[in-house]
Amino acid sequence: MTEKLFRHIGKPVERKEDARLVTGKGRFSDDFRLAGQAHAAIVRSPHPHARIRGIETAEALSSPGVLLVLTGRDCLDDGLEPIPHNPVPSTKYDMKLTAPGGGVPFIGPHHLLPDDKVRHVGEAVAIVVAETQAQALDGAERVLVDYEILPHVIHSEDAIAAGAPAVWDEVPENAFVDTRFGDWKGTERAFEQATHVVSAKFHVNRVTAVPLEPRSALASFDVETGRYVLYAGSGGAVRQKRELSSVLGIDPSRLRVLSYDVGGNFGARNRVYVEFGLVLWASQKLGRPVKYTATRSEAFLTDYQGRDLVTTVELALDEDGRFLALRADNISNVGARCVSLSPLSKGSGLITGSYDIPVAALRARAVFTNTMCTQAYRSSGRPEVTYAIERLIEIAARRLGFDPLELRLRNLVPPEAMPYRNAVGSIYDSGEYEKNMDRALVIADWAGFEARRQAAAERGKLLGRGFANYVESSIGTPKERAEITVKPDGTIEVVIGTQPSGQGHETSFAQVVAEMLDAPVENVTIVLGDTDVVSVGGGSHSGRSMRHAGTVMAMASADLVAEARRRAAELFDAPEEDVSFEGGRLVLPGTNHAVDLFELARLTERDHGPLFAARTNEMHTPVFPNGAAACEVEIDPKTGLVEITRYASVDDVGRCINPLIVHGQTHGGIAQGVGQAMWEECHVEPSSGQPVSGSFMDYGMPRSDNMPSFICEIAEVISPTNPLGIKAGGEGGTTPALAVVTNAVIDALRDTGVEDLPMPLTPLTVWKAIRHGAGHTDEDTRTTS
Amino acid sequence: MYELRYRRPADLAEAASLFEAAEDPAYISGGHTLLPTLKGRLAAPDALIDLRRLPELKGIRREGDRLVVGAGEVHRDVAASPDVREALPALAGLAGSIGDVHVRNHGTIGGSVANNDPAADYPAAVLGLGAVVRTNRREIAADDYFQGLFTTALEEGEIVVALSFPTGAECGYAKFRNPASRYAMAAVFVARFADAVRVAVTGAGNDGVFRWTAAEKALATSFSPEALADLSVAEADMIDDLHGSAEYRRHLVSVIAERAVANMGRAVVTP
Repeated sequence: MTEKLFRHIGKPVERKEDARLVTGKGRFSDDFRLAGQAHAAIVRSPHPHARIRGIETAEALSSPGVLLVLTGRDCLDDGLEPIPHNPVPSTKYDMKLTAPGGGVPFIGPHHLLPDDKVRHVGEAVAIVVAETQAQALDGAERVLVDYEILPHVIHSEDAIAAGAPAVWDEVPENAFVDTRFGDWKGTERAFEQATHVVSAKFHVNRVTAVPLEPRSALASFDVETGRYVLYAGSGGAVRQKRELSSVLGIDPSRLRVLSYDVGGNFGARNRVYVEFGLVLWASQKLGRPVKYTATRSEAFLTDYQGRDLVTTVELALDEDGRFLALRADNISNVGARCVSLSPLSKGSGLITGSYDIPVAALRARAVFTNTMCTQAYRSSGRPEVTYAIERLIEIAARRLGFDPLELRLRNLVPPEAMPYRNAVGSIYDSGEYEKNMDRALVIADWAGFEARRQAAAERGKLLGRGFANYVESSIGTPKERAEITVKPDGTIEVVIGTQPSGQGHETSFAQVVAEMLDAPVENVTIVLGDTDVVSVGGGSHSGRSMRHAGTVMAMASADLVAEARRRAAELFDAPEEDVSFEGGRLVLPGTNHAVDLFELARLTERDHGPLFAARTNEMHTPVFPNGAAACEVEIDPKTGLVEITRYASVDDVGRCINPLIVHGQTHGGIAQGVGQAMWEECHVEPSSGQPVSGSFMDYGMPRSDNMPSFICEIAEVISPTNPLGIKAGGEGGTTPALAVVTNAVIDALRDTGVEDLPMPLTPLTVWKAIRHGAGHTDEDTRTTS
Repeated sequence: MYELRYRRPADLAEAASLFEAAEDPAYISGGHTLLPTLKGRLAAPDALIDLRRLPELKGIRREGDRLVVGAGEVHRDVAASPDVREALPALAGLAGSIGDVHVRNHGTIGGSVANNDPAADYPAAVLGLGAVVRTNRREIAADDYFQGLFTTALEEGEIVVALSFPTGAECGYAKFRNPASRYAMAAVFVARFADAVRVAVTGAGNDGVFRWTAAEKALATSFSPEALADLSVAEADMIDDLHGSAEYRRHLVSVIAERAVANMGRAVVTP
């Protein structure tokens, strides 16, 4: 695409969807009601690990209003299939994860209800459907499950220790993925020759998405047509339709899934939940619509969770601080069964971060534990490995006496090396890393830190500053389809298979089509979320939506203009090549023949049908958004309280379609990353296996009053991989935030000798470090000369 | 939530008789502890009797050297009351620091004091000032009223009608909040009378709100933050949980008490 002045792309157009959403006109899943609907409640396991010896349902069935009780045995009797999560990322550009010794990993079948064992607290063991929700809950209390309690395991390192309880009999060692990447021999040699070797071990803690809208599903079954309808918000209705029809054993054409407004996703809604299949199944058995809406407690317990990676990283350096090699051992805790290996795989391709490290080696393992399943969570896998390398560089600089920024600058991938193939084979498409770094330091006023530190010291506070570079990959489902119809009433309708949950697709997508068709943005309507209308679509994840949708919409727009020229030529009785498209009109230069797209649609509809174009596109080449972030924190040494006083970031998103929306996404992304570093934690007590942080009483969140105003800039290094030059903008705020905040806190504590602290950096954690000077990693530094 | 009957009595007498008539009744006056308990099906009263609108529980007024706050007054109104702000500005500040705006518009002083949550704010002021708890049956001195976690001197069916605070003391309140719940993790109310000092601690003690008598003696001798420097509460008496070890809470109590003493006449809240 040639550079030209854009009319709509790149403009901060205010979001078209906001008026609807802030005036209560959103259509969220729980807003839908169908005549005669019954209500479902779920019986959940109180144990982390137990054999199901039997389930007594008679008392529940005799409870007032109860219509139906279904268990894992019924699930098998009715021939329901497990959810086909397809967790192993398998595009050409994904890191290929395999079972120990090679082959396809055993993932632990995800039946709607288990018949053999429960494997985490909160696992669904039965569904009770009743006339009212209260009656369903009463009934659920009367389902008697006979459990034989089994020993459990919570942490991934405990799970791979000898003698640990096996979550699945099929995988007695619990590690179901064990893959080595990179050049192990070369790495070994580089480490032997290195002047310095620095290593550290980190646990990137487990968090949950906490969407504003709890998950919800309403299913109905039409006895006459044999067709199912499911109202359920998700990250993409097309996947829900495909996987749920497989669970039910029906042709996909018999299931319609509707997903309109979605109140937050962050990855948690991309995969199928058992309750969605359960209400479909129950609605067919009852011949009545059945609804389920999770409570906040159920959301904390059983929304797919994020992160939980133990990583041991070693860096080899020469005497000047040049990075020679990196070695990493990453262990992902997937929970009770494997829903997605995206975090482990995505991270595997980016262990060397933004740095030119000639050789690297990685062992990547995934393990089962008796915890809720983990899934890709905002910037899947990338914040984890960014944390590892950016923390390790900081530790290396301190131990070896380098300036941490100098050490980074000395090793950054230079722009002239682009496209750059990193040591584990990922090809970074484009980027100006040093420029990002320089700019972030300027807007953060890095140079003014010392004066602020002294001022804080006079108030008895410890000021610290942190920095991190980042690079991430955006791959995602490769296929996307756009259908564009120009209507005689002056509107343009675009059907697309992505699914926003706050990202503003209705505005930014409209900007792209308006640009291509030279029409006002307000005339373009985006149609999403109904599988009867949207046939193909990869949904929204991995920062894929703008790039994939933008590309296919641009292609479909070009097809539409071609079709319009054909029709106009016929209308003007002139050769097609003489007709040009200018300012939204088809004109025959040198004549007074001119017609706009909408008028053309009206004039030609009878003979040629609607003015319409559709295009399906596959795009495999990944892009690598990148950037840099810096922050300052102020610590009260008496209480351990950390306050973030400054946060700046520069994010290269490629071509930016709508800077207003990208900034909003960056702000949200920063808050989500900072939240993990500072407050959020899905804490499970190892001895009992019980989740402790099951409500807002114990799960701390980022809030408007504990965030500073962000200083953000967008860098636009156009990606050569797609016609619009787009990278991605939704996750860059999150990716470096964990490392930036931790680096700043450790910097503030430099006089205490604390070298590392686990997230979240709560007042208790920080105070204990100050009090006891604790907080060294187990690993050590070796320097040879 | 289990099925129950919600009742809104017109006056105090009707509230008491509704309580008498029900099999397993509960009063509600804001419900920030009770409602989540009900929703979690952890309590199953058959009747929920709402006290928030009872006329006898309304009003904030000066009675000689006392400030009397009706038990049905919501936190917002206590915080904004000119009488409270003038007589006991730290109490107004305390009320304004509770929860968020929704909580302050709904929760009541009577509900908080009757519930006696170990992390609630008001018990610290009531005990710290040595207030009198007026009920529909009697008057109870604060020192006799608080009897442990969620436990008070209230008898079955007894209703808190008002809190009567002495106004002859200069007060300070400091609070360190739990980073997740925003309840007090350690909060200290200090009241300096002409002849004595009272110090009450909430959020930290594993037996609920308590008086820190060693601090009271030290401050009576020398009223300054430094007077507390060598004092600490017993670690064994502290709550120990995910957010704060007993050791940390013991330390926080000292730090926060010093801040209360250093900020008399107001409430200081961190974070």
